Amino acid sequence: MRIIGDTNIPFLSYRKIALSLSMLVILGGLAYELLGPGLNLGIDFVGGTQVTVKFRSEPDLGRLRDSMMDLEAGTPSLQRFDEPEKYEILIRVENPEGEEGDFTGPIIELLNRDLNGGLGDGFDLNTKGAQALTLLLAVEDPDNTGLDQEGAAEHYGPMADAVLSFRKVNGIFTSMDQLGAIEGISDNARALIEDRGVVGEFALLGAESVGPAVGADLQNKARAAIGFSLLGMLIYIWLRFQLPFGVGAVAALFHDVLITLSALSITGREINLPTVAAILALVGYSVNDSVVVFDRVRENLKLHRGEDLEGLMNTSINQTLSRTFITSGTTLMVVLSLYFFGGDVINTFAFVLLIGIIVGTYSSIFVASPVALWVHRLLAARRDSKRKKGRR
Amino acid sequence: MEKKVLWRVIVIVAVVAAALWSLWPPEEKIRWGLDLEGGVHLVLQVQTDDAIKAELDDAAQRLVSFAADEGVALGATTVDAEAFRFSVEVPSGADREVLEDVIGRNFPDYDITKSGTSWTVAFKPNIERFIRDQAVRKGLETINNRIDQFGVAEPVIQRQGIEGDRILIQLPGVDDPERVKKIIKSTAFLEFKEVMQGPAPDRPSLLAGFAGLPPADGEVMSGPRTGIAGETLGRSYYLVKKSSIITGRDLRSARRSQDEYGMPNVQFDLVPTAAEKFGEYTSSHIGIPMAIVLDNNVMSAPTIRARITDSGVIEGNYSIEEAEDLALILRAGALPATMVYLEERTVGPSLGHDSVVRGVRAAVSGLVAVMIFMLVYYKLSGLNADLALMINIIILMGAMAYFGATLTLPGIAGVILTIGMAVDANVLIFERIREELRVGKTVKSAIDTGFSRAFGTILDANLTTLIAALFLFQFGTGPVKGFAVTLSIGIFASVFTAVFVSRTIYMITLAGRDRVQTLSI
Repeated sequence: MRIIGDTNIPFLSYRKIALSLSMLVILGGLAYELLGPGLNLGIDFVGGTQVTVKFRSEPDLGRLRDSMMDLEAGTPSLQRFDEPEKYEILIRVENPEGEEGDFTGPIIELLNRDLNGGLGDGFDLNTKGAQALTLLLAVEDPDNTGLDQEGAAEHYGPMADAVLSFRKVNGIFTSMDQLGAIEGISDNARALIEDRGVVGEFALLGAESVGPAVGADLQNKARAAIGFSLLGMLIYIWLRFQLPFGVGAVAALFHDVLITLSALSITGREINLPTVAAILALVGYSVNDSVVVFDRVRENLKLHRGEDLEGLMNTSINQTLSRTFITSGTTLMVVLSLYFFGGDVINTFAFVLLIGIIVGTYSSIFVASPVALWVHRLLAARRDSKRKKGRR
Repeated sequence: MEKKVLWRVIVIVAVVAAALWSLWPPEEKIRWGLDLEGGVHLVLQVQTDDAIKAELDDAAQRLVSFAADEGVALGATTVDAEAFRFSVEVPSGADREVLEDVIGRNFPDYDITKSGTSWTVAFKPNIERFIRDQAVRKGLETINNRIDQFGVAEPVIQRQGIEGDRILIQLPGVDDPERVKKIIKSTAFLEFKEVMQGPAPDRPSLLAGFAGLPPADGEVMSGPRTGIAGETLGRSYYLVKKSSIITGRDLRSARRSQDEYGMPNVQFDLVPTAAEKFGEYTSSHIGIPMAIVLDNNVMSAPTIRARITDSGVIEGNYSIEEAEDLALILRAGALPATMVYLEERTVGPSLGHDSVVRGVRAAVSGLVAVMIFMLVYYKLSGLNADLALMINIIILMGAMAYFGATLTLPGIAGVILTIGMAVDANVLIFERIREELRVGKTVKSAIDTGFSRAFGTILDANLTTLIAALFLFQFGTGPVKGFAVTLSIGIFASVFTAVFVSRTIYMITLAGRDRVQTLSI
């Protein structure tokens, strides 16, 4: 089977149209970023607290928003997380100007105050941990073991773990009846938990809090990582090939990163640490594509000495075209499965790769080689003029 | 089988066996990141300025009391923590030689500057850094103790940061992060102080008899005022002596207990020297209230009814859990300085569980799609690539287990990406072989040229990706580092499998058939 046969497309003849199109997209994207809402930097970079909470039933967003107004921090934003029927909400606040500190505690306290106010001092199965439940059981000793605290804790520990492992799998207890389905607890202990326990309105799924100092630190590291890897690649390709190819490959990388950032800005997706990792993965992927073409150009240069570089580049791109498409295809397959099945946490990561692979494939054909050709001619022209000067 | 081929097979079997051996059993060998297992990642900053101030406060008080022991009465002290010094008023009648001797003997870390009746006592050079360092060390030790007592399996507690004043804590599998965070962060500085006046509902009425200002040896402290049912009614204010009778440092142990009404409280025992001091004090102050102060909050102020020696009770409207936690932190000791959370990442176990399920689903479906495609597009050669891909994944997982790398959610994404990119090397080779076949080469020479020509390309392409991965590792943190690790290992594994393993498979399948006419590709 063959998808792409022997082609002979003069790709480099389209370079003016292609480069203009790319410039247009990049400039449009930059304009949108600078004049529009800009990049949506996540708390990893700007500092703030982000709490993911799962509710027992459909949460009332208006009421939640009202609760969060009492927080002594920036304006909180609330959004749904994952599928709506999971009743999961992401609450995000930015730290007050320049102030360190973690707002997870206060957010949970406010939720407790406003949603679980009627529970009294019952043992909340949705917020307390296994250790607290062990303690409760050990103190009350429903099985009348007569053991000391340590012995009782050993006796009741596995039961508490069994109860909490339900929450580990399901995220939240929606009613006390679910306790009946849990194995490994004695009837007396079950009765005691039913009596003393309550089922709160929410459970904490995750929390992230990054202070401004760490945020600024992470921002610098992200910039350094991207900057240094671009530089590293420029140098590597320069050494292995020639300067024009290095410049071409890095131009293609800039092209890909800028367009991906525009796509992130337009879709309003958040830029976090994993997003930066995805951008670097895309950098690695995209340069891979360019290198394969350049490698062929180098080989053809040896075979056909004295031939015009533009023609050789066209031949090389055509020769590697089928590989380019198949590799993009297989990578796209896995990235699509990541995009659709990977879940909300990894979705933006997959999105970056998705855009990056499409743009990267395009740029390895329409940006890397044209720019390399351009730089090659520029250098050649300069060499010529120097030589002429020297003769004079 | 030819000897050359046999050697190749042995190498491959050895590598796969080593990978499987280091991987087995997978549930023990693959370390899961906090984002998959659930857990808490915390970065705390030790406010070492606190420790400096505490040291100066303490030194000033000690100086006054040592001088008093020698019969020298000193005036007021003022602490200037920012300049690392305190000054003390020396009355003109005081015996300066005795005083100098007292300072020389008891304060080797300080320099004195005398100017009239005001003496300035300041840190010697480097003492400041030493105290800061000590504060972080002590903080690290205390947190270690607390986490150990709380009972978290395999915690990571490390000092980090350029100044060395940050503490990184990783606690896997914690299901009640807020409680643990409170236990870690509580300063838990316990003091017993003599009450001079109070309780009063507010500051002005408390200080009415003192012209609105606390006396030199006293300070105002407050605590929650509770009703009979335990409800909070506001705050009560007390005027207490600055110097403490005993502090948390004098505690030998503490445990949760309960009073006669079943209300939880915390019982403590004192070390012998402190017990003696405490017994002396209580027997001479019967009828006078004593404030039990925790982190500058007056928890209670019971009136001393009899001599107390080696044990006591702290009451304070606690729940069982709170009493348990207080006993724990008192046992583990106080923090030398306050802590500020710089970074927190909590992943609840259910979110981690969800991530694993989805990550595995995405990986498997991506893998299956790629394998089917290779099979359809390259037929039997595709089978060769698929086999190489399986070996690739085994080597990747084995290497991760061997290096003790942590599998994170971005790490799973890295594995998935590796799957996509691993076949790239095979595609490069196969396309090259097809090209060579098209120009009319024999199967054997097409394979030979295909592999050798593609090798340079594969090397260049993968080395550039490795550059990105290495910088990601250098500058990345936590889960992102995990991604860089899987990506790097995946690069090595895919070069090995595509170039070496696939080649060997061809050698085996085409062995003995010298005049192969067609290749399934």
